[in-house]
Amino acid sequence: MAYAFSKFGAEGWSCPKCQQPLQPVEVNVKYMGSSFFVELPGCPTCGTILVDEELAVGRMLEVEKLLEDK
Amino acid sequence: MQHHILESFEQQCTQDAPPACQCRCPIHVEAGSVASLVASGHVDEARKVLERHLPLAALTGRLCEGPCQEKCLRQDLGGSINLPVLETYVVTCGRPVKSFPLPGTSHRAALVGGGLSSLVTASELAKKGHKAVVYHLGPLGGYLRELSPQRLPPLVLQEAIESLRRLKAQFIEASSLTELAELLETFEAKDFKTLFIGLDDPALDPKALGLSVVDLESDPVTMGISRPNVFVVTQQRNNPHASAICGGKKASGSMARLFQNVSPGTAREKEAISETKLVVSLTGVEPAPQMHLADPLSPTPQEAAAEAGRCLSCSCLSCLPPCPFLRQRPGIYPKKLAREFYNNIITAFGNRSSNRFINSCAQCGLCGQLCPNGADLGQFVDLCRLDMVSTNHMPVSAHEYPLEDQVFSNSPAAAFLRHQPGTSESTYLLFPGCQLTASLPETTTDLYRYLSSHLAGGVGLWTGCCGAPGRWSGRLGLTGRTTEAMAKAWQQAGSPKVILACPSCRLTFSRQLPFVATIGLWEVLSGLELPPTAAPLPGPALLHDPCAARLDEAGQDGVRAVLTALGQEFFEPALTRRLTMCCGYGGLVDQAFPQMGELFVSERVKDAQHPFIAWCVMCRDRFNAFGHPALHPLELLFSPPEAMILTPEMPPGISKRRDNRLNFRHQMLSEFWHETVSEDPSMNLNIDIPGSVLEQFEEQRILVSDVTKVLEHAAQNGPTFVNQQTGHSLACLRPRQVTFWVDYEVRTDGTYLVHRAWCHRMTLPNVNGEGQESPASLEGFAKTGGRV
Ligand code: SF4
Ligand code: SF4
Ligand code: SF4
Ligand SMILES: [Zn+2]
Repeated sequence: MAYAFSKFGAEGWSCPKCQQPLQPVEVNVKYMGSSFFVELPGCPTCGTILVDEELAVGRMLEVEKLLEDK
Repeated sequence: MQHHILESFEQQCTQDAPPACQCRCPIHVEAGSVASLVASGHVDEARKVLERHLPLAALTGRLCEGPCQEKCLRQDLGGSINLPVLETYVVTCGRPVKSFPLPGTSHRAALVGGGLSSLVTASELAKKGHKAVVYHLGPLGGYLRELSPQRLPPLVLQEAIESLRRLKAQFIEASSLTELAELLETFEAKDFKTLFIGLDDPALDPKALGLSVVDLESDPVTMGISRPNVFVVTQQRNNPHASAICGGKKASGSMARLFQNVSPGTAREKEAISETKLVVSLTGVEPAPQMHLADPLSPTPQEAAAEAGRCLSCSCLSCLPPCPFLRQRPGIYPKKLAREFYNNIITAFGNRSSNRFINSCAQCGLCGQLCPNGADLGQFVDLCRLDMVSTNHMPVSAHEYPLEDQVFSNSPAAAFLRHQPGTSESTYLLFPGCQLTASLPETTTDLYRYLSSHLAGGVGLWTGCCGAPGRWSGRLGLTGRTTEAMAKAWQQAGSPKVILACPSCRLTFSRQLPFVATIGLWEVLSGLELPPTAAPLPGPALLHDPCAARLDEAGQDGVRAVLTALGQEFFEPALTRRLTMCCGYGGLVDQAFPQMGELFVSERVKDAQHPFIAWCVMCRDRFNAFGHPALHPLELLFSPPEAMILTPEMPPGISKRRDNRLNFRHQMLSEFWHETVSEDPSMNLNIDIPGSVLEQFEEQRILVSDVTKVLEHAAQNGPTFVNQQTGHSLACLRPRQVTFWVDYEVRTDGTYLVHRAWCHRMTLPNVNGEGQESPASLEGFAKTGGRV
């Protein structure tokens, strides 16, 4: 199941370990037994993902609610 | 969930049971619906509804005497609804319903007599495609011919007979009674399977037909007599027309069954005249006199609509008015909701769009008290929630925070049990409940001091959460573990009598720990002298009974006794004691669905002219939070306000509540028991959270302790991301089934300034603490829930 998240602001953030600016990374997101891939900003080297506030309280919350009613 | 659980609930809610008029009508015409359609000007629709039950409506609609009026609920409020007039109006002005007779069968019935009952029987049989042959002496119509032409225009009768002919009914005029008498003996030989005799035709003489007295006693259900396959309708003195119509319908039903080789008595329970199961509240119904009609035989549309408008459209909605949850969508009532919830639960593929509704009932039990049949939707909702949890369909987010709170309150950091200082056993144990120590910690201390010096035999102190949130949420696993730990702690303490200060704890103890001896705080306090600090408010208050104490009469009396002894002036709200209303905390409504929780509070404070005295601290807090001043009666005993409380006092937020519990334990153990309480192992970071950010945390249910954990993790392991442009850092941690993000900066003096924080429940790879993820169930929480 694919839920596309809207664009978000990851400007200026970088991974302190790898010293890398963030880039879109495809990740596997899971919730309530569902699992799907989305593109989120993350460190291209170690893969650490950033979920910013707008996404967390916006589209991501909506999808959480949808999945809760599944 | 098993279907019979739904069925038994559906039986309890009689909201859509037929009203009294329909139950009294011998053929169950939906009189109420007819009336409301006439009232709203839908006369064609009204005719449709009428013809569902009334055969040969154009004729019979003018004839029925209206026995329904005997039971009409308007009877003593201006007079029963005049259904005969309404029916006359409907069949004269409403468009006839096109009937589509069924294909013809080979079954034949002989009908003797030309009266109303024979015409009805013929009509009913012919509609089903059976052959009806009517044998009559003289003109058709029987007693109907004696009616005045105004009452029954001859044309109407003629048209009815024509319509029967069109349905292939046959009319044969017999030459003599003897000929008819012979038919009685020979109908089977003449290829008729059944015979009907309608004695509402004055041309027929039972004796001459060879009928004995016994033959005239037909079975009230089937109209059958002792002779096989023969059915008789006699002329009745009361409501002769209604009886003839009803008799004809019943007899035709019997014959149709015989044609299908079914016994005539099969499945006829619903045909009987019965008492309605509907209970209708008539409070507030103003009397309205029956319409005066210029000519009752031809009412004008205005007259008919006015008379019909007096109908009460009888239905039961007794439980709806005070419950915002039941009122949220028009046209719903418990029976409908239960079915909707059931479908939601059993759905295998579709969306479970009722999950939120199921979590919006306060399980307060008020509907059960208001319902004439005791139908308690809250109990049904409880079963739904249990089912949702057991099938992993309970949304994690709905109750996460209160469950987390329950586990926290029962963790060693907050929970403890001690005998009274200097003693090693207790006669009593005060269990204040997790919310009292969170909202009113000082008052709880005062209460303990007071009880331990006024009750003999030692009063121990036991803090923690009774487990109500877990049970409300349907988490039986968590509830079981909590209960087990509590039972053990109580037994280890020597099984003292537990004094319960919180009504929800009391209810939970009685359900989950029925073997524990308990007593309500207010029963105890009403037997003691008042503390010296006690003082009433300088003005009147409204007493609010918490919904958990709805059936706790002893507790209700106890509070009232204490307030009276105190000289507190107080009033009872309209709904009080057994019928009290929920503040919206019940069933965790406000946790799952804050807007619904708000509707509950506002419903309660809506007409309140005075501050509330609420003996559940959650009610007290919620009233205050929603702008209506409220006090807990313990405050009157130990820290009474000096002036009248006019403005609400904001209750502590979620982080403060936790601190209060921790500090309560800390303080009590050191002050009363002189124990050195080990410092909590946190790193003592210097964290600065601006007020506006804290407010936002409350809304998002982010605890300061959550943020602290994230920052401590970052202090040890470095931030997750850094921002060169702004100098901010971003740290992330998943300490439970929520991932928290904190945007912060470290000032030159080493303090952590928090800019924002947010959280989500979805899991991502590579998140610190990710290993803690477990499936939809929150049961895992209990593992950390050790107590004492
Ligand atoms: S008021 Fe209307 S619905 Fe109620 S019993 Fe009378 S006719 Fe029937
Ligand atoms: S009070 Fe409510 S639950 Fe009871 S019969 Fe009426 S509508 Fe149904
Ligand atoms: S909130 Fe209370 S009154 Fe309303 S349906 Fe639920 S249990 Fe019944
Ligand atoms: Zn990296």
